[in-house]
Amino acid sequence: MSILKRLDELVPGQGGRIASISPCGNLRRRLMEMGLVIGSELMVIRVAPAGDPVEVLLRGYSLALRKNEAKQLILEVDAA
Amino acid sequence: MIRAALIGNPNVGKTEIFNRLTGLSQNVGNFPGVTVEKKAGRLVHREQEIEVVDLPGTYSLTAHAVDELVARDYIVLERPDVIVDIVDGTNLERNLYLTMLLLEMDANLVVDLNRWDMVAARGTKIDVEKLSELLGCPVVPTVAITGKGLEDLKNSIVDIAGKKAARGRRAAQNYGNDLEQLISKVEEIIKEIPELTSKYPERWLAIKMLEGDESVMEQARASLSSSQLAKILCIIEAGEAAIK
Repeated sequence: MSILKRLDELVPGQGGRIASISPCGNLRRRLMEMGLVIGSELMVIRVAPAGDPVEVLLRGYSLALRKNEAKQLILEVDAA
Repeated sequence: MIRAALIGNPNVGKTEIFNRLTGLSQNVGNFPGVTVEKKAGRLVHREQEIEVVDLPGTYSLTAHAVDELVARDYIVLERPDVIVDIVDGTNLERNLYLTMLLLEMDANLVVDLNRWDMVAARGTKIDVEKLSELLGCPVVPTVAITGKGLEDLKNSIVDIAGKKAARGRRAAQNYGNDLEQLISKVEEIIKEIPELTSKYPERWLAIKMLEGDESVMEQARASLSSSQLAKILCIIEAGEAAIK
């Protein structure tokens, strides 16, 4: 069973598959260029105080996202 | 003289390669976006003079960021003899996105697989020959900080400069039937216009038009008759409607 969660709701060590990317236009394009496409797997490495920014591991490299970008990424997370 | 341009994602060791090739010793910081202006240097290898231009570090080649547009316009409009795509060997998946975009532009490409020492240190194995076969261009492992592989890179630049764009055998992204049909329809119209075909790779231009790239549309508009423009817009509109 998997549930849907916003990326900013995850804690370090948690991860999942991208189910949807809500921004459109330039931000969406940018995120996709960096490898954040529907279906790609990522894991949260660490979160700064106040949750901004969030560092994630995807495709073998780490990427830092602003909180308001992380909020717009919906992940499919395996329910433990 | 051979005109070569260096391109790659930010922080892959591009400026170090540039300095190694041209013998310049500038201070190289570790900040992203070190390269903001056009830097050029020269070297002589196997009695061939090579001019090297260092392009801005970029992940992509859209018209939405100034540095990306600078790099793209240089490649498309200045048509350097060789493009050296510097790839971080420890981060192949992300880096090869730019490589695919460059192949789509029909660039005469040499892939420099940098940080080769780190690849080994991480225990990763990369089959260089296979990668070269799949991409359809030479792949040269280097270690920019020690200068390892730089002679091979220079040799590849000189070798490939002589064989301009061996088209056809290159890797090309297949976008699936729906999009491929639209691409070939637009390409057919472009092929009738010598002004455009002499300047741009046809497939690339067709893809950019379908993407709704304003910069390309603006540059191409002057060469299109109003009926050709209408036809292209019609294909785009019909395509968008069909995909939705």
